[in-house]
Amino acid sequence: MTLSFAQSMALALLQGVSELFPVSSLGHSILVPALARWRVDRSDPSFLAFVVALHLGTAIALVLFYRNEWWRIISALWRSIVRGRLSNERDESVGWRLVVATVPVGIIGVIAEKPVRMLFGSAEAAGGFLAINGLVMFLGEYLRRRQYGAERSSRTIAQMPYLQSVAVGFSQAFALLPGISRSGASIVGGLLCDLDHSEAAHYSFLLATPVIGAAALLEIPRLFAPGAHVAAVEATAGAIVAGIAAYLSVAFLTRYFKTKDLGPFGWYCLIFGAICFVLARIGVLS
Amino acid sequence: MKALALLLALAFFVAGILTALGTISLTHSHDVHHWKQTILLWILALLSLIWARFQQSPRRV
Repeated sequence: MTLSFAQSMALALLQGVSELFPVSSLGHSILVPALARWRVDRSDPSFLAFVVALHLGTAIALVLFYRNEWWRIISALWRSIVRGRLSNERDESVGWRLVVATVPVGIIGVIAEKPVRMLFGSAEAAGGFLAINGLVMFLGEYLRRRQYGAERSSRTIAQMPYLQSVAVGFSQAFALLPGISRSGASIVGGLLCDLDHSEAAHYSFLLATPVIGAAALLEIPRLFAPGAHVAAVEATAGAIVAGIAAYLSVAFLTRYFKTKDLGPFGWYCLIFGAICFVLARIGVLS
Repeated sequence: MKALALLLALAFFVAGILTALGTISLTHSHDVHHWKQTILLWILALLSLIWARFQQSPRRV
């Protein structure tokens, strides 16, 4: 692998944090190495294996954080299938909403991921989309304030209509564009569907588990590709670092969104994205 | 609706086999692995079967 061990661990930390913060992990994985002048060969089998390991670490951290809830949701879904009927049980309602919301992003991800990333994989595009990501968060907050003012909505995930659940799930597909955050898009989607910040973030993190987990599991063969073993130590250590960072991030964000909004993340994305875009335009970033 | 769900399940299952064999592809790009499309189509087939299962007794408990 072209990266040193320290650079690999920095990337792992960045991935673990930025995957769940609404700031686009994909955008940062392009912009930060470009700013730091790291040589990253994205087609190198050992680097691809390293990236798969980071996603696996993040997905495992999410499963561990929500382990009790996932157990209740999967049990409720199974009971529902065996019974052949829907009930009004909370975990079952949340579970089916997660299923229908994951389908569109799964279809779009499999079909469009590579073409989109080949088209928009540059630092310029990542910077531009990151700035747009910030504007989208401001727009989401503005529309929500216009609707509710200082009041908080009391709607829960289980009370959200199925069509709106699908719309929130669909919004995650925009994260195929480097710079657009998956969690940012789904939290804004949740806010526009009358969830409060805490509930929207909760739904976003639950939605993240099958999306990140499936993306990692489908890429597992890359871990055993010829040349991938070169980065075995980096991949293992990176998965652990990314997992710990993701666990701490989701713990922090679930508390944060109980009282605060997307504003600070919007400012960060807008300023950092705009700077990177300008630097890329004038040829400083490549 | 149950017949439609079963028909969809069958269609997705067959399409999954065809993508696995490389006969059809959901994309124009040859970079996208066919087995990913196969897994996706089989998951959709499974979800269609679950949908069919719910058509037997749509009443809420």
